[in-house]
Amino acid sequence: MEQATTERASTRTREKHFVALLRDLPPGSRKIVSIQGRSIGVFNIDGQFYALKNSCPHQGAPLCAGRIKGTRVATKPFEYVYARENEIIKCPWHGWEFEISTGRSIFNPHRVRVQTYDVTVEAQEEPDPSIEMYPVTVEEGVVMVHV
Amino acid sequence: MPPRAKEAIIDCDIHQRFKSHKELYPYLSKAWQKDIDEFGLRLTTTGSGGFLNGGTGGFREDSYPADGTMAGSDLPLMREQLLDYYDIEYGILTGQDCSPVSTLPNADYANAIASAYNDWMIEHWIEPEPRLKGLALIALQNPNQAAKELERVLDHPGIVGALTQAGARFPYGQRFYDPIYEVLNDRGMPFVVHTGGEGSGWNGNPTPVGYPSYYIEARQSRAMSYQAHITSLIFEGAFDRFPNIQWVFIEGGYIWLPTFLWRLDSDWKGLRDQTPWVTRPPSEYVFERVRFTTQPMEQGEGPKSLLQIFEWGRAEKTLMFATDYPHWDFDSPEQALPRMPEELRRRIMSENAREVFKLPVRTTEALAAD
Ligand code: FES
Repeated sequence: MEQATTERASTRTREKHFVALLRDLPPGSRKIVSIQGRSIGVFNIDGQFYALKNSCPHQGAPLCAGRIKGTRVATKPFEYVYARENEIIKCPWHGWEFEISTGRSIFNPHRVRVQTYDVTVEAQEEPDPSIEMYPVTVEEGVVMVHV
Repeated sequence: MPPRAKEAIIDCDIHQRFKSHKELYPYLSKAWQKDIDEFGLRLTTTGSGGFLNGGTGGFREDSYPADGTMAGSDLPLMREQLLDYYDIEYGILTGQDCSPVSTLPNADYANAIASAYNDWMIEHWIEPEPRLKGLALIALQNPNQAAKELERVLDHPGIVGALTQAGARFPYGQRFYDPIYEVLNDRGMPFVVHTGGEGSGWNGNPTPVGYPSYYIEARQSRAMSYQAHITSLIFEGAFDRFPNIQWVFIEGGYIWLPTFLWRLDSDWKGLRDQTPWVTRPPSEYVFERVRFTTQPMEQGEGPKSLLQIFEWGRAEKTLMFATDYPHWDFDSPEQALPRMPEELRRRIMSENAREVFKLPVRTTEALAAD
């Protein structure tokens, strides 16, 4: 199945955790899940899946509750260009902006970033007792995050 | 949930709002209500409202109540996100919508709004929530009226000082303001200034060089207005004329204080005979009688740099913690300040404010009785 790539795929073994049924996470939606005590936001942006740690590197606000938006990209003085719609999340407290696909901040991409996680969409093969309330067909798939 | 703060926290800057300006009507005469129905409240803050702000409409995005009303207008949400969440011992209310009263042309209308705001704050916020204390808003157009308003409300046990904005027609040491200071001096209560109002109505420009273009520039004028007010207080002899008042400057920064005072102390040595009633180095008056709040706290070049400034600024006496909830530049009690020695942190988080606002320690018995 399709995998949303991040630049921070780690070599250490990560476990897959159920996030949502694919049909319950349509484009434009997000879900905040708690995995091993960590709060993680999983996003469906125009059919691509991304996951970010739900804690802002500044003062720890719930970053994944922030607005998904574009931004005024860097320009010459007195040019105002709004672009990159839906690629950026803005922290709900002090407004620091992060690229959703990489977790990198806009103001200092190399030094200030938020942890990202891989997300995959998979066919549900074995019935899983934790989600047996939801009858799942193979076509539907489930969204999994790798933590 | 985050771990609960085990320490006492007094938050010196909380902005409460009304859901509709009609909440003021029970405290306003029909004559004023009619004008407001037709023309609105006519209150604009810094730069006559032309500047942008930060966050979502100026507020923390998560601070808007679910019913779609204004951030800061819902006491249960304020309890959930601030008072209970961080276990705040006391919060000092600084209002929002009515704060620019001193920018209005009509002194009587300005005084009526200040008065209505004070009654509204007492009834809607202070009386229902014992952790909240209020500052009495005053309109500076006519200091005699402001003094009367203070006499009217200062005896309420939930009112702990007077409040005005930083923007002004002239600086706060001048004798024009004496009627206000006389009332505060009699009661030993603080005069509290919150940033805002620069360049609005008939107030002076937001900076000494005129109007800047962008919000981030306007924010930097706060230190300039505060420096102008503080020098005025020193050289107009206000600290000696009103020995029982402390002046509090909210949200205008702190890290500039030591270098500003070094400059003043140096200049004073050669210029002291022009204002001979200033008998001590200016910094001494400020350390004794002026207080500042933390938010928005800079990160500096790491904790060491801030601790050095705290030492030079006598932060163990002069600095008081504030969150600025629900504004977008809110400071978290858990993460905004650098690590520091326990006693210094205790002074900043609660004890300096406890002294200025005369707040008793909330004992377990008092908490149980609430
Ligand atoms: S906590 Fe996110 S920008 Fe400050």
